[in-house]
Amino acid sequence: MDKPQMIEHLHESVSYTVYDTKWIPLSAKFVVLGSKANSQGVLDIFELNEDKLVKIKSIDKKVAFKCGTFGAASLRNRHMAIGDFEGRLQVLDLEHPDLAVYNVKAHKGIINCIDAIGGTQVDCGAPEIVTGSRDGAVKVWDIRQGQAPVVDISPPPQMGDGINKCGTRDCWAVAFGNTFNSEERVVAAGYDNGDLKLFDLRSLAVRWETTLKNGICGLEFDRRDIPMNKLGVTTLEGGLLVYDLRTQHATKGFSYVEERNAGRSVGTNGVISGPKATVWTVRHLPQNRDLFLTGGGTGSIRLWQYEYPDKRVIDDTDGSKL
Amino acid sequence: MEQKRKSLLEKYNIPLSHLDFGYVKNCGNAREMEKIVNILRSGEEGFYPDLTRCAEDKLKELKPNSQLFRYEEPIQRSEFLDRKELKPIYDWTHDIKSKDSTLNEMKEDIRTLKANLPPMRTPSKIDTDKSATDADTAKPMPNPSVPTAKATKSSENRIKSTDYNKWDKYDPDVEILRMDLDEERAKEEAEQKNAKNVAPPKKAVDKTDENERLKERLMSRLEQLSKLERDHLAEKHRLRGNEYFKSKEYKSAILEYSQAIIYDPENASRSYNNRAISHLKVKNYLAAISDCEACLEIEPDNIKALLRLADANYGQGRRRESHDVYQRVLQLDPSNACALKSLEELHKQLGEIAPANATRLVIEELPPEVKPKPKANPKASPKVVEPKATKPTKDYDLAELVKPNRMVKNKILNASDALVGKESIKQKQGPIQELTDADSSPSMLRMPLANKRIDNNKILIEEL
Repeated sequence: MDKPQMIEHLHESVSYTVYDTKWIPLSAKFVVLGSKANSQGVLDIFELNEDKLVKIKSIDKKVAFKCGTFGAASLRNRHMAIGDFEGRLQVLDLEHPDLAVYNVKAHKGIINCIDAIGGTQVDCGAPEIVTGSRDGAVKVWDIRQGQAPVVDISPPPQMGDGINKCGTRDCWAVAFGNTFNSEERVVAAGYDNGDLKLFDLRSLAVRWETTLKNGICGLEFDRRDIPMNKLGVTTLEGGLLVYDLRTQHATKGFSYVEERNAGRSVGTNGVISGPKATVWTVRHLPQNRDLFLTGGGTGSIRLWQYEYPDKRVIDDTDGSKL
Repeated sequence: MEQKRKSLLEKYNIPLSHLDFGYVKNCGNAREMEKIVNILRSGEEGFYPDLTRCAEDKLKELKPNSQLFRYEEPIQRSEFLDRKELKPIYDWTHDIKSKDSTLNEMKEDIRTLKANLPPMRTPSKIDTDKSATDADTAKPMPNPSVPTAKATKSSENRIKSTDYNKWDKYDPDVEILRMDLDEERAKEEAEQKNAKNVAPPKKAVDKTDENERLKERLMSRLEQLSKLERDHLAEKHRLRGNEYFKSKEYKSAILEYSQAIIYDPENASRSYNNRAISHLKVKNYLAAISDCEACLEIEPDNIKALLRLADANYGQGRRRESHDVYQRVLQLDPSNACALKSLEELHKQLGEIAPANATRLVIEELPPEVKPKPKANPKASPKVVEPKATKPTKDYDLAELVKPNRMVKNKILNASDALVGKESIKQKQGPIQELTDADSSPSMLRMPLANKRIDNNKILIEEL
């Protein structure tokens, strides 16, 4: 068989909307974050047992959870940073979830996206958390700092014509990258209008920006702890772009490959020709940085392979659950 | 419907007559083929299953990875796999669970680790819209930690312009000196930091120094980490090294492997092995040899390491060692294609070495003096000196008969040197020895060692 195949290992239905799932580092457990119908937040921890999934803990909170990450957690404490619908950022010890280790009102609106870094890496700078929110701001947090962000990347205050709110941006995706030593660090942020910005946290400046045709839903560097290599970007209407961050043109910016049909759904006889759907997320394989998955709005998961000089797509998808 | 059909045909600008077996078979244009397949699949011109299949086959031939061959497949259930294939997953689950529980036990002693977290960033802002002015505001504090520290210091020390008492005591020279010192210290710190962090570019300048420092730093960290964490980090570094290796960044790969080795020296055979091949790639043969040997110490029968060792030896010019190592590989795995091939190559270069019945005959047919000489050598080691030392001049013709004489001279002289060490001869032969050092050292080793002496000496001459 020359094509890779995807096999569903276990299957579990839940009674709430799932917004994010993350593996707990060095364990067979993962956390599911979501929102119940009454918009209460729910956090479930599942554990993989041989051939079944066991729910070992369920935590309810007043506000629905949107996103979480273990990126800033060291192997010993494994605290999870969570962003919720009211703009609150909390860091929870999953053993004692009632009392947050760190709790701050981070944004005015919902925290759409979160990423963190520096937990397990050695010599890669301080553990930091970055959040992006509906209020258009991107903020970098260090939980030792207290109630203020260490870096605040806010849009300019609204140019107040007050009638339409087109002035504010909505940040949909953030990602850390380029942290190969303790000073270099880069945050990529994607906005609803298709803006893609790369902030350099060392020089505290915008390193590069561009505007895509559609809003950006997902961002990930292929590896965050090496000098920037590739950046995967997914957008509304089925766009998937992979930027090669090692080849930068003075005026054109980074080179990229684009795949416009990445979110396209199945049409007749299994051929992908249906309407275009959002590609929500992109995730790189930990074992191989040139393989990555995209999760599409039609419930499909597609596995891609990046080939350095020119890109080719190996495979394909599944029609799966949600 | 009518309009749509028109549009597809028209859109692609393909005449209806092209939807035909004959045309499809001869079409050489992948893009056109894609269009034809599209039209046929759409069914707008009617269903022609055979023609569609034929067109798809043709397209597969022309452009095997066309977008049109992307299908969405239903996901497979785990029942699809049999028990055996699931086993690794189960094993992993058990394995990771034990790790998990040990980690949980260690939860208490976090404190020590927290102490040496890197410093916090000083709070700051980035304005998104005014990227032009942004650059200006950002410049004053490119390195947040250092300037702020300075700023606070200077504000403390500042003397008010009205405070005359203090101004009286103020000695500008001392202040200047102090400032210089401060600056120097800051510079030093920054340098240290840089040296630590910007490893790859600096490496070229003071590689050993850099490695030492890296090692020291990691060592200090190691004491605080548990075995589990160390293993995890070592594995991580090793995988990162593999990735670098794959993308042909060998220097970074070597650095990663080195770190993996430092973290977990007991199970570092794979890291050593991989570092060896990275060294091979950058043609650093000596380092590769030592890495292979380190790997073999941990896993004596690692065939890959042996092959790399042979390769490295060959690259370094030690063909004889290379040959021996390949022989050893064949002992372990008689059908190793790589070893067989390389041995053949070596034989071509060195002449026949191994079983060599044929060559033995050849030698026996050569002038009879050859045999007695080598025989004589082992028999009476003290006596050897004279015949050997004189041999090159005496039997010049004989040596010529055997093979190019230059090498023969060397070998025998070297051997005699090794045995007696006559200074006069040594001095004479000094320059020649140096020239062919790589060749001479193994021969020196071999002479006294040879068990089957006759054979060996024959081989020696033959090989030359």
